[in-house]
Amino acid sequence: MNRIENAMAALKEKGEKAFITYMTAGLPDMEKTKEIIKVQEEAGTDVIELGVPFSDPAADGPVIQDASYRSIQLGTNIHKIFKAVEEVRNEGCEIPIVFMLYYNTILHYGVDAFVKKCTQAGVDGMIIPDLPFEEQGEIKEALRNTPDAPVLVQLVSPVSKKRVPMILEDARGFVYCVSSMGVTGQAADFHKNVISYLEEVKAVSKIPVMMGFGIRTASDVEPMKDIIDGAIVGSHFIRLMEESGYDAEAVKEYCGSFKSELNQK
Amino acid sequence: MDKYYGKFGGQYVSESLMNTLDELEKAFDEAMADPSFIEEYNYYLKEYVGRETPLYFAQRLSRKYGTKIYLKREDLNHTGAHKINNVIGQILLAKRMGKKKVIAETGAGQHGVATATGAALFDMECTVYMGEEDIKRQALNVMRMEMLGAKVVSVRSGSNTLKDATNEAIRTWAKTAEDTFYIIGSAVGPYPYPKMVKEFQRVISRESKRQILEKEGRLPDVVMACVGGGSNSIGMFADFIDDRGVELIGVEAAGLGIETGKHASAMALGQPGTLHGMRSYLLQDDDGNVQLAHSISAGLDYPGVGPEHAYLKDSGRAKYVSITDAEAMDALMELCRLEGIIPAIESAHALAYAFKKAGSMKEDDIMIVCLSGRGDKDVNTIADYLAGRGYLN
Repeated sequence: MNRIENAMAALKEKGEKAFITYMTAGLPDMEKTKEIIKVQEEAGTDVIELGVPFSDPAADGPVIQDASYRSIQLGTNIHKIFKAVEEVRNEGCEIPIVFMLYYNTILHYGVDAFVKKCTQAGVDGMIIPDLPFEEQGEIKEALRNTPDAPVLVQLVSPVSKKRVPMILEDARGFVYCVSSMGVTGQAADFHKNVISYLEEVKAVSKIPVMMGFGIRTASDVEPMKDIIDGAIVGSHFIRLMEESGYDAEAVKEYCGSFKSELNQK
Repeated sequence: MDKYYGKFGGQYVSESLMNTLDELEKAFDEAMADPSFIEEYNYYLKEYVGRETPLYFAQRLSRKYGTKIYLKREDLNHTGAHKINNVIGQILLAKRMGKKKVIAETGAGQHGVATATGAALFDMECTVYMGEEDIKRQALNVMRMEMLGAKVVSVRSGSNTLKDATNEAIRTWAKTAEDTFYIIGSAVGPYPYPKMVKEFQRVISRESKRQILEKEGRLPDVVMACVGGGSNSIGMFADFIDDRGVELIGVEAAGLGIETGKHASAMALGQPGTLHGMRSYLLQDDDGNVQLAHSISAGLDYPGVGPEHAYLKDSGRAKYVSITDAEAMDALMELCRLEGIIPAIESAHALAYAFKKAGSMKEDDIMIVCLSGRGDKDVNTIADYLAGRGYLN
């Protein structure tokens, strides 16, 4: 069974909500990326989204754009990221890892080869923000044809409306609910109908519903805590790491307290 | 699939834009089927843009190169290029859809100026996204846009050029699509944009075909246009695509030469990818990151190409070639001196290949070259180039 699906089942069993982070791979270097992955496993983060930097991140706000740009300048590429994932897996790290990446990175690598490599390296899922449901045929075929392939995490937005049942029909892992229109990292500026939107998604979804975009603290999601199954923090987490100089203790502290606050009754 | 041109095109955008694209496609199809919309569009093309544009028989060029060369004078349009044809169409559609604001991306500033012009005419709030680097290079066009009442937003992201300005426009659109219409200037982007741009630029070939039949009593042998994203070329090709006897040639920018890596010929290397909502040929590096294009012509300085062009290339219906900076500049000077027309550097790429192609054509053969824009905007670039080369000495 897939690590994400295992983790989701375990959370459900314990009645816990998930805490998920996003980090751009390769900042400040690949060694540190590996360390932060392992630290988060200890701190109680449930899933890590590992951002594969792309030159044209059209779905991202300024913080992740800037992180992607710097990472590419430092020489980060998909081969080095695969290697880093393999290494943390060899060191016994079992935290679920989801690649967040743009479709051109996959196309360029070769869709089948990419899926095989993910499976072999120990990548558990993919989130592809520029690959809407209608364009997923090619990658789904590759995923179907590869045993133990990663899951394709589906994104829904506040304006998806009638599209939601179609998108979630065969969705696996968890649903990524985008909290606002537009791009990542617009500080807690959620869509005006965010509550009813989350309720609608929750009603349709057979898998856990996670909310992301613009979340900084557990209190940001307090109003919708009873609806969602977890929260995703990206831009804010990157900023926090930057400001602390990628300090392992600071990361541990942030992740640990977010996770426990999220689960306070 | 109908959103595709062969294996190119599609809608590689975030989920939050999918319903918007769907609404746009429906609105566009309805508008095109509504005679009153077409009538309004044609009214503004005639009375405001100044169409139809002449199909000019270039006497001295024809004599020199030994074949009949006609120039489709898109440079005589209001705002100085073909870009306005598409802006008028899209802005009328925006109005019809009840949108109050328009946004656009621009590289050299021509599409930005055209959009600002249309927004002034139709009283819409207009924001133009432009790379910080391009803002420095094209100060005059920034001033034009501001005079026309548009807000120019400096984009500091990635390479600070057109592709980054396009990313920023897409991001803004994803946030504001409820009241904002995104006017894309080239035959690129997610479906239905490539189709819309083609339909709103089709007037170029529709007029050309009628004009050449009047003047020559037959179809041309060759039709040629420059290709950046591919808007003037898709407009120039559109009504000739079904005329199998007409050879279609698109001319990309070879910059300093394909072999130097400093060029803008997305199709020369034949590598498909996804960018700006479409799947098409794309300049990219070994890791699949988009590579910067290079061309002396800002309007051709784009790493991708419209998906229908990618399809026309693969199907063999059109041929795509490339012309270096130096070849284009030579052709530009030649047109100035032989015909008294200062063309845009973009259009000079098409001319340069026309002169090469003429060598294999007979005296009575007919070639139409799309003169997509005028060169006033390029005078500074031309001066710098000539100074560096000592061309005028």
